[in-house]
Parts: sequence; structure tokens; C-alpha cells
Amino acid sequence: MSDLKITNLHKHYGAFHAVKGIDLDVPSGEFTVLVGPSGCGKSTLLRTIAGLEEASSGTVEIGGEDVTWARPRDRNIAMVFQNYALYPYLNVKDNIAFGLRSRKVPEAEVEKRVSRAAEMLGIGHLLKRFPRELSGGQRQRVAIGRAIVRDAILYLFDEPLSNLDAQLRDDMRVEIKRLHQELGRTMVYVTHDQIEAMTLADRIVLLRDGLIEQQGAPLDLFERPKTRFVAGFLGSPKMNFIPATTTETGVALSDGTRLDVPGRSGLKAGQAVVLGLRPQYIAMAGQSLAPGHARVPVTIELVQPTGSRVQATMPLGGATIIAELAAHDVSRPGERTEIDIDMTRAVIIDPQNEQVI
Amino acid sequence: MPAIAAHHQPDRNFKYWIIAPAVFLLLLIGLFPLIYSLVVSFMRIDMMDTDTSFAGLYNYKQLFKDSRLWWSLAHTLLITVIALPLELVLGLAMAYLFLEKLPSRQIFISLLVLPTIISPIVAGATWRLLFDNKYGPINQIISWIAGQRVDALWTINPSLVYPAIIFCEIWQWTPFMFLILLAALSNVDKSQTEAAEIDGASFIRTFRYVVLPAIWPVMAIAILIRGLDLFRIFDIIWALTQGGPGTKTETISIYAYVQGFKQFETSYTAAIAFLVIFLLTVVCTWAIRRMGLVK
Amino acid sequence: MSALPFHRRHATRLAMRYLVALILVVIFVFPVYWLFIISFKTPDEIFAFPPVWYPNSIQFANYAVLFKDGDAATVGNSLILASVSTFFAMILGTIAAYSLVRFKTGGENLAVWIISQRMMPPVAIVFPLFLLYVWMGWVDTYFGLILLYTAFSLPYVIWMMRGYIEDIPLELEESALVDGCTRWEVLWKVVLPMARSGLFATAVFTFIFAWNDFLFALVLTRTEVTTYTVQVTHYFGGQSNFWAKIAAMSVLGTIPVFFTVAIMQRYLVRGISMGAVKG
Repeated sequence: MSDLKITNLHKHYGAFHAVKGIDLDVPSGEFTVLVGPSGCGKSTLLRTIAGLEEASSGTVEIGGEDVTWARPRDRNIAMVFQNYALYPYLNVKDNIAFGLRSRKVPEAEVEKRVSRAAEMLGIGHLLKRFPRELSGGQRQRVAIGRAIVRDAILYLFDEPLSNLDAQLRDDMRVEIKRLHQELGRTMVYVTHDQIEAMTLADRIVLLRDGLIEQQGAPLDLFERPKTRFVAGFLGSPKMNFIPATTTETGVALSDGTRLDVPGRSGLKAGQAVVLGLRPQYIAMAGQSLAPGHARVPVTIELVQPTGSRVQATMPLGGATIIAELAAHDVSRPGERTEIDIDMTRAVIIDPQNEQVI
Repeated sequence: MPAIAAHHQPDRNFKYWIIAPAVFLLLLIGLFPLIYSLVVSFMRIDMMDTDTSFAGLYNYKQLFKDSRLWWSLAHTLLITVIALPLELVLGLAMAYLFLEKLPSRQIFISLLVLPTIISPIVAGATWRLLFDNKYGPINQIISWIAGQRVDALWTINPSLVYPAIIFCEIWQWTPFMFLILLAALSNVDKSQTEAAEIDGASFIRTFRYVVLPAIWPVMAIAILIRGLDLFRIFDIIWALTQGGPGTKTETISIYAYVQGFKQFETSYTAAIAFLVIFLLTVVCTWAIRRMGLVK
Repeated sequence: MSALPFHRRHATRLAMRYLVALILVVIFVFPVYWLFIISFKTPDEIFAFPPVWYPNSIQFANYAVLFKDGDAATVGNSLILASVSTFFAMILGTIAAYSLVRFKTGGENLAVWIISQRMMPPVAIVFPLFLLYVWMGWVDTYFGLILLYTAFSLPYVIWMMRGYIEDIPLELEESALVDGCTRWEVLWKVVLPMARSGLFATAVFTFIFAWNDFLFALVLTRTEVTTYTVQVTHYFGGQSNFWAKIAAMSVLGTIPVFFTVAIMQRYLVRGISMGAVKG
């Protein structure tokens, strides 16, 4: 059974068309991440699911009931907000209990659930404190506690980690993932951070300009993007794009370099395309060339160490590409060397419609 | 599965329900009297006569012949154009005085604000006692300074009564200007004034080109609030002179009150009210545009 | 350039400023001092020539008279009228302000119309109101004056509360909606507690405006609900021996306001500037 089903949803703000006909099905217990650049409509979509925005047309079903016109309180959802939305005049315990008390849950039950949620999040010792006395990370835990204490069908997260510093963000990401595994609840999570999306999601829904660009398992999107946009959005450092022309067995770059693309022998030759190469699938030339790989001579221009890995910048086929190399086999800038490219992972994009061929 | 019964519907009219009582009261107390006045101002109702037939612009024509009315407007204007700039300049000077650190600054400010928060009637009454020619301290102090007995009739002598009123008015409302301008000055970005100082700008230039533009929005509102208050000045004068001697200090508010409640010129008072509202609207609109409060 | 070292010049400047400040305080506080002093003076001291600058003894006879004659009850009237009307104005004004802020009810026009009511000179509406009140039998009743003060305070309350409510993060309300609150509960459980300090400050100023009113009370009261401001003017014009009463009555009407301001220090600026300066 699906806990959330959205059919042909549209949202207009005056002349601005924020959501342009979205269909979405979220099965029970799944962790779905809505991701996309700012202005793609992901937050609007989430807020429409919550009932904080009114749908212009289309339907929203939660737990099998049509709630398109229901008030937020009648939707049986819980939500974690970007800026925590803690009530400054209530202490941590009353903040967590707020939703339960609003729904007239008996006080004994409130006590039990609050202490369990607090324990789960490791904030049991903070219950008597007020939000202003908490650190950012603690506030975020309280905000999450306020959501999970509820017995909701659907848990919504609106960029909950975007206000935390990098270290804390990594910790909280782990925390949220663990909570999902323990609780097994259906969660919909909005973020603009593709790393958050990749690490947390059972399924990523990538939005662009109010439409779903592609959805699926994180690795699926990473390995088999359907469009140039998806290919470029996921992954860090970003995918390299090089203008190329098709040949019978692969592509030719503007400097004449020919690269065979395995399994793509049926291409029509002479067509202008864009070749997409992930920095992770480029390595320094080894002793022998692995099957499906292509070896190319390059000159390294710039080296950026990141610790265990090194990002090397080099010109290739009229473009500048980045390769993520192992730290120990990197060369000095200006040095001529050879790289091996895993062409089985390469994507070929039609520049006309930006679709992956 | 049954559809959830409660739709957004109960919320739909919520926003109207919560604003309705306030709007109703404002219509009753604010708009109803205006409409009533408008209707009555086209009739001829006074103490003698309740002639409810349409009298056209009779009352409005009367306005132009009524020299006492125009004098009362002139008195109002006189008080406003003298008191308002004085309050502004004094308030600004005081704000500068207290802008930087000063021992017991907070206590001083609290004491200085006292005149503004007491009732204008009490303020007028207080100055009535102060201005008394024989037993009041003002004449006594002036006598000390002059070195001879001074017996000024502040609330009776036509040439002294305006200084008295304006003095009282300034005493009560300068602290208002002071407080607002002090807050505005404290909000001015210090790095800007410091940059101007380093550039060698004089105090006047710094004020003109850095401080004034920063505090102007607040200052303009303060001027507007005080200007409106001065235009409808009633209480202080009522307590000090009741418009006397004769009609020498009658302001437009006092005159309208006298016409309505002493002469019972119902229709004529209504016409005066509309003249006041008309003048106020014109001046306000002009001032708001002029001061750049609305683009 | 002065030859004095920097810190000496600085000290001189500070001393000068302090002196000027002291003089200003004396000028502005003296009238209030005088009012208080007179209220404690005996008739002989009041009508002494030259004036007595400080009384030899504090005596409360002038106040005792006010209480014996029942005149002091007018302070009670002012208290009832100002506090009850403040209570209603705060409730009605706050929910109306919430409607304006959150739902943009009536657009910008309604908000402008409401604030323009504040600009209305009382003298322009007091006469037709008087006729309405005579017709409805509301003259000299608590109900009539409370109704009037409530309505007259509304634009101020709405204007001020609009500013405070705008400062409340929308997320808090949305969170409450999702957590199961109705709109009314959001108002009650989130908006009011969040705007608590604003409510408090606005209420105090609303109270002071009603407390200080004179014109409406002059026109619309007779004997039953006479306010202290009207009572003060009853002592005018007659014999000068009413001086003690003027002073004592004024002091009675002023003390509550002094207390208020002592408490209100930090809201003072925003309150009287109608929010032009966010304090």
C-alpha cells in the first residue's frame, strides 16, 4: 500500500507556475528524498502535501484518503521544519509534547512517548531546558523529537539540516537514517544537498522547474541518469561534459581523440553529442588497460588535494575536465601523463534535447 | 474508507471572523458619525430649529463668511508652525546630548520623559498654577532675574498668552521628539559616521549627508504625528485659557466644540468638521508625499 | 587644536554635557515637582508670597477632602473605563491584526483605512457621536465610554500588533497547524505567547491614551462616569482656593502613569513612535 499518492498536482502563485503536474507514489516505510536546485518546487510540493499550501489542481492522498482539501491537522502527518520551529516559551518537554496534547492524547501516554522519543534522540537530560539554552544540534534533535513522538502516517522533513554546520550535519544525517531504520515509518525529505539525498534516500525524486526529472534508487540515478541535468546534479565533483562526435564504435573528441564506448556500436556516425565522464571513473594509467577502458595522454594543469584523494584539472578534447585520483599516484602540475577512462560508465547526451542516449 | 469530513472550509472564513468585530466598531464610531455629519451638514439644524429639509451648500457658504472660524484656523497654524520646529530642534539637540555615554543617563532619560506621558489636561493645569501672576513661581523666577518685581498676566495678557501656550506645549512634547530621535540616532550605523569623520567631514556635513538620511524615515513620522496632534490641539488650551482672552486663543478644535456644545449649531458644526477633515487630508497627503514616506 | 591632552579634553566635555543634562532635567521636572508640592501644601503655603519652594511638612488634607467629597471616585471611573476598554481593544485589535498580517485580509487598503482612523481629529466626530449617544441612551454610561475608548484605541492596537505579529516566524504557526491545532488554537497557543511582550507594551500605551483622554469624557459624561481629567477642570475658574484640589486630583491621576512608565522603560520608544522605531 502506498502512504502517499500524488496525482497530477499543480500549484500556481499568481502567474508563477511552481508545480507543473507531478505524479508521485510513496510506498509504506520508504524514505523518499525530494531534491533539486532552489526554485525547483520541492518545498512547495512538500508544503502542499502538508496542507500548508493549497493545491491549484490535482489530488493528494495520504494513507489512502483524499486529503487534497483537508486542513493540516486532519492529515495525520508530522513535520520537521528548517528553522526548528521550537516554541521559545515552552521547555523541551512541552515542545515535544505539544502535538500530542493538541490531539488530546492522555497525559500518561504523553509522558511515556516523550521520554521514549527523548531517549532515542539522546536528549533525555535536556527536557527541562528552554530552546534558547540549547545548541543548534540539540534544537534540531528536539524538533525531530516533536515529529517522531507523533503516531503519524507520514513524516515530512523540510531541509532540516541546512542551518547546521558541516560536522553537525554529517552527525544528524546518520541520526536520521538510524531513526528511519528503527521506526520504519514513511518519510519524505526535502533537501538541495545531493550528498544528503544520496546517503539518506531509499528513493530520490529529482525535481527541476516544477517537474520530476527522474526518480529511482540513488545509485540508479547516479549510474544511469536519463538527462544531462540529472547527470550533472548528482555526484561531487560534478560530471565532466565534453563536446564530441559519434563514430561507429563510440565518440571522437574535437582534438581527434577516439574513444570506444562498449555496447554502443549501433550509433549513427557523425552526430554531435556531449560525452559525460564522472571524475571518479578516471584513473592514472595502470600497468595494463582494463577492458572497456580508454587510455588518453593529458597534461595536468592543477592539483587540489582533498586528503585521501586528489582532484586534478586537465584539458581534454577542447574542454577542461576534473579527475578524482588516488593521492599517491598524482603527478605534479605541468607534467605529461596518461589517464585511463572507464568508458563503460560514460554517458552520451544528445545536446538538442539534453536526453541521455 | 470515508473521506475526511473536515475540509479547509472551516478555515476559509476565519480571517473575516477575526477582523469583523474591529471593523464593525470602527465603522460605528468612525464612519457612522462622518456619514451622519455629511447628511446634517446639508440641513439647517440649530438650537432653535430642526429644519431637516435640504439646504444645499448653505452651511459651507457660511464657512467662508465666518471670520472667527478663519481666525481659529490661523491660531492653530500659528501654534503649529512655532511649536513644531522648536520641539524638533530641541529634541534633536537633546538626543545628541544623550547619545554618548553619560553617568546616570538612564535615570535622566526616564525623568525627561515624564511630561510626555501625563495627561495634557494635567499638563495644562500644572502650567496654570505655574503661570499664576502672584503665587506662581514663573513670575517669581523672572523677578529674580530681572531684579525687580514682574507681574505678568500669562493667561490673560494677549501678548503673553501665546508664549505661555507654546511653552507648555513644548515642555510636554519635546521629550517625545527627544525619545524618538534618540532611538533613531542610536540606530545609525556607526561605521558610516566614523568613515565621514576620517574623511574630514565637519559635524554639519556628517549630519546632513550621513545622519539625516538615516534617521529621516523615523523623523518624518515623528513630525507627522506631532503635526496632526498640534492641528487638533484642545486639552492644553482648554486647561490654560479655554480659548480666551475673548477668542484670542481659540483653535479650530475649541471653536468646533463651542459651536457644537455651547451654541448647538448642529448643521454648522458638521460643516466645520468636514472642513477640518478636508484640510487634514490635503495637508497629510501632501506631507506624506513631500516627506517621501510613500513613493 | 586644543593644547590639552586628549583625556583632559574628554573629561571637560563630559562635565559640560553632564551639567547641561542636569539643567534640562531640572527644567523638565520642575513643573511636575511643583504640582506635587502644591498638593501637599496648606492654603497658607499655597498662597504665600513669595512662593514657598518646599513645604515645611507633608500633609494629606488636600487628598482627604477629595476622598471625603467623593471626587476621588472619578479616578476609579478612569480606572474602570481605561482598563476595560484596553482589555477589549487588545483582544479585538490583536485578532484583527493577525488577520491583516497572515491573510492580508482586505489588502493594503483595509490596513490604510484603519490607520487613517487614527488621524481623525476627535473634534470632527465627537458631535455626531454625542447625538448618536443621546439617541441610544449611552451618555454618561460605562458602556458608552468603554465602547468609544475601545473603538478609538483599535487603530493603534492593530497598527502596533501588526508589527509584533510580523516578527513571529511563520514556521511556528505552521508547525502548530501540522501538530493538530485549529486556527483559533494557533492564535491562542502560538501567536499570543509569542507576541507577549508586544501585547504588554501595547496594552500599557492603550491604557495611557484612554486614561489621559479629556474631550470625549467632557462631552459624553455627566455625573456618573466622570473621569479624573474632567474632574480637574471642574475646579478651574472658581476661587483660587481650589488650587489644592487641582493639584491633588492631578497627582492622583498621574501616579499610575508614572508607575507604568517605570515598568515600561524598554517599550517606551516603540510604543510612542507607533512602531516607527523598532525598540
